[in-house]
Amino acid sequence: MFFHYIYKDTVLHKMDGRLKVLSLAVVSLAVGVASEVWHYGVLFCLLGVALGIARVPIRAWLRDMRFFAVIIVVVMGVNVLTGGGDPLVSLPGGSWFPAVEISGVGVIMGLRFAGRLLLVLMACSVMTATTSPMMFRDVVEWYLRPAPVVREGKAAMMITLVFVLIPVILDSYTEMRQAQRSRGVELRRNPLKRLFFIVFPLFGRTLRRADEIVYAMEARCYSEERTRGVFKAGKRDWGIVGVCLGVFGFICLIH
Amino acid sequence: MPVLEAKSITHIFPDGTAALEGISLRIQDGEFVVIAGANGSGKTVFLRHLNGLLTPTKGEVLLDGEPIAKNISAARRRIGLIFQNSESQFVGQTVAEEVAFGPENLRAPRAEVERIVRECLEDVELESFRTQSPHALSGGQQRKLAIAGVLAMKPDIIMFDEPFTALDYPGVVQVLQQLVRLHQRGHTIILATHELEKVLAHAQRLVVFHKGKVAEDSTPEEVLERVENYGVHRPCIMTWLK
Repeated sequence: MFFHYIYKDTVLHKMDGRLKVLSLAVVSLAVGVASEVWHYGVLFCLLGVALGIARVPIRAWLRDMRFFAVIIVVVMGVNVLTGGGDPLVSLPGGSWFPAVEISGVGVIMGLRFAGRLLLVLMACSVMTATTSPMMFRDVVEWYLRPAPVVREGKAAMMITLVFVLIPVILDSYTEMRQAQRSRGVELRRNPLKRLFFIVFPLFGRTLRRADEIVYAMEARCYSEERTRGVFKAGKRDWGIVGVCLGVFGFICLIH
Repeated sequence: MPVLEAKSITHIFPDGTAALEGISLRIQDGEFVVIAGANGSGKTVFLRHLNGLLTPTKGEVLLDGEPIAKNISAARRRIGLIFQNSESQFVGQTVAEEVAFGPENLRAPRAEVERIVRECLEDVELESFRTQSPHALSGGQQRKLAIAGVLAMKPDIIMFDEPFTALDYPGVVQVLQQLVRLHQRGHTIILATHELEKVLAHAQRLVVFHKGKVAEDSTPEEVLERVENYGVHRPCIMTWLK
């Protein structure tokens, strides 16, 4: 579900791409500034409602979150163990492992980072589910146009290709994983070896697929200079930006 | 004068393997040519040379008597190529976006792009799917979408690389109907396949590739009895269309 555009007839799908990216930037800033529990509560509500409006299939989304849960747990663990402050629990070190101290400050810091990561993932899901890569390309091009030196067409297309390739990589991963499972890869105990079996073939396959995509694009006269996107911002779009700014302002104000 | 001509094309890969050796072919305007050959005989590499995606080690490709290397993008606009497994190369996230990719590259005005997309989707009967993901379509529909993506460039010559691969019976029939319709409309068709039984009845010429060389080049009736010498199954029927 992550990084997949799902076409639905919703307010967020129809929203002016420029304002959608602006809203994402504002929400991301708010996530960075948030520090109190209720800050996170407000942001979870906002992004939860956005996921609902975008009609993202929640079950599939939660299922896909399992992959990111590992990262979230690692980030949380690192912060819990390196947070400093008065220790709540102390485990003496041995000859094989160092002493471990878990403090209240560390736990709060860990939860804070995990919350931030989760919020960022939610915001990205809303963005990618409601914005097609082509629209995203047009938006990036529009924002980069005033910047000197930057070749906005090239930069925008590179971003689009990333969006095209990420689902390709994820789909290839799933397919290869299933094929290897059917041949009993899980019976191998060495996790590094299992990783080795996935990473190298996946790398090779991704490069081949990328090559094919490049050929297909060239065959259809791909160039940096393309028809430019046409944008139309309505009152409702500005309203959504207003809500995001409101949440950001509120968090900054009562910081 | 032929509309498209390959003059003594040789292509040698960096590892020294010769994919094509001195291939010469003249394609006439409005012709329907089937290129047959076993796997690895050089069909795909040859089509990619005609479209300017690959550059020959020796020889040249002429479009209306002019080398395509002089103006590659003009040649690509006139010579459309539908790839094998084209669905794995879709760039657009919706059916409409996929068709719009070509005209947008040609910098057509937005309203013109919209019109072309509508016309091409109507042409391949996919208009009602315009907001869907290309990957949600059936195999036959995906192949028709790839055709629509090429038609949007308004080509004169359309090349198909193994267009029936991985398609079920309805999918093959859909693609075949589209192919015949395009030929009747005056497009030059060049089709590479080893599945002759699906399409040969509609072709005027059969070229057989063998180990990177042209082994046979004549009417299907004349070549047919010798195709099995080159690893191609001799068909019992000549089309899957009724």
